[in-house]
Amino acid sequence: MNETVLKRLEKLNQLALTEEEEKAFLAFYAEQEEEQKALAAVNTEEVERMVHVMPVYTVVRDDVVIKMFEREDLQKGAPETMDGYWQVPRLVE
Amino acid sequence: MKDYEIVIGLEVHVELATNSKIFCSCSAKFGGEQNEHVCPACCGMPGMLPVVNRRVVDLGMTAGMMLGCHINRTTTFDKKSYYYPDLPGSYQTTQWFAPVAVNGTVEIETSKGKKAIRIKQIHMEEDAGKLVHDDWTDTTLVDFNRTSVPLIEIVSQPDLSSAEEVVAYLERLRSLLRFAKVSECRMEQGSMRCDVNLSVRPVGQKEYGVRTEMKNMNSISAIERAIAYESARHIDAIENGTEELVQETRRWDDIKGKSFAMRNKETAGDYRYFPDPNVMPVVIDDAWFDTIRDSLPEFPEVKRVRYIEELGLGEYDADMLVESRAFCDAFEAAYAESGLAKESANWLITNCMNLLNRRQMTTDMLSINGKALGVLVKIVADGTVSHANGKKILEVMFDEDIDPKKYAEENGYIVSNDTGKIVEVVRAVIAADPKSVADYKSGKEKALMALFGKCMKELKGNCDPQLLRATILENL
Repeated sequence: MNETVLKRLEKLNQLALTEEEEKAFLAFYAEQEEEQKALAAVNTEEVERMVHVMPVYTVVRDDVVIKMFEREDLQKGAPETMDGYWQVPRLVE
Repeated sequence: MKDYEIVIGLEVHVELATNSKIFCSCSAKFGGEQNEHVCPACCGMPGMLPVVNRRVVDLGMTAGMMLGCHINRTTTFDKKSYYYPDLPGSYQTTQWFAPVAVNGTVEIETSKGKKAIRIKQIHMEEDAGKLVHDDWTDTTLVDFNRTSVPLIEIVSQPDLSSAEEVVAYLERLRSLLRFAKVSECRMEQGSMRCDVNLSVRPVGQKEYGVRTEMKNMNSISAIERAIAYESARHIDAIENGTEELVQETRRWDDIKGKSFAMRNKETAGDYRYFPDPNVMPVVIDDAWFDTIRDSLPEFPEVKRVRYIEELGLGEYDADMLVESRAFCDAFEAAYAESGLAKESANWLITNCMNLLNRRQMTTDMLSINGKALGVLVKIVADGTVSHANGKKILEVMFDEDIDPKKYAEENGYIVSNDTGKIVEVVRAVIAADPKSVADYKSGKEKALMALFGKCMKELKGNCDPQLLRATILENL
């Protein structure tokens, strides 16, 4: 991790960190990198890949439509709505 | 100027033919009032857990098998980080580490012959929502109906080298996927769209040139124009230094006939893929795998040969039928019932097609009972019902699942063999129309048709045309 990578991450996450926050993040990532190095040193060659702690697989459902919510209920907590749309600040690339 | 070759890879997004969304039970139907097909899960509200729609995996596997892919028997979902209001969770759930299908091949045919296009992978993922930029309020309006609608993305290797090959590849994909009922692949509705990755290089050079990506192309003719423009732009930049080529995502403006830079191309690292801890790995056991494999349809080109060689259809008829799986299914059921291949094909290609056109429906939307169609074909062919009345019955069959023979009996559509009645009608018509009689006798052949039409109308079409004609001539 370095300042350039952090700036790239800020842009990707649409964040604007202050100088102090950037310093704190760089220190945090430096610690993380040390921990990663320690983990990488462990031989995991014969350890099976694990996605989840619990051995649960193939949680699927049938292709059936169930309408459980009305739009008005879902939009109750929205700061702004218009004609049934959620309304957000204009964002054009 | 050097000779250049174009190098193209496609990422084709196909919306799957499911009733519900990929991770929740909301309707996946196209259209509807804004935000009618939504729930807390597809709106990205905290604490909601996605549950995979089994049908999506069925269709992902089906697509993989149709394109000759290896199916990953353990397939997993991953989060792809992407901040934009059309993705309410700020990430897309997709497949990165273990997609459902990998390493396939699609064979295409162009004016230069046959060519195999390699498929890198097919992954299942959710679609994003729709944004409407409102100038009046200077805000963006968000519709989540499309959010979490299931897609597969078919990623090709960069094996395509012309617009003609791209068109052939897309048409082949569309044909196979529609045949297997994976998707309707309707580009005008966005259920099939593609990103075109393009670069150029001097012929003989091994290294690829700078690659640009044109996103969300949803018209084959626009894709052809975009490839012509973009490849010329690349060559011009290299040959004449008109601009510096950079790896980027571009937008194709079909009205202006130009591509425009949108943003620098993201790399895989930018998306920060990681396994989605909320979606359990899907393990495809032998029974599931076999069920899907056994349900695969006969390929269109195999059907075409069988229709011509075994059933004696002409090439035109066979080509028309294999354009659509619904037509093939109806044809095969009608033929099985009637034993009349040519007649069954004719009823579909002419009469059913006319009705579909009148109703502005596509051939894949045909939902007629094929066995009942076979009965209709038979009773028209053996003269039980006239062709004209058969067409009337067919129209009813488009809306209702009826027994055509029973319907014909109940509605007076059975051709009458009652010669007494026919003679009675003919004499009455002749008596009432002395002008046509006089015209015919003075040599005007058309007058006979006028009398024929009037008699047939009186008999409600239920008469053998040759018998009627002979009876009129006898009585003139």
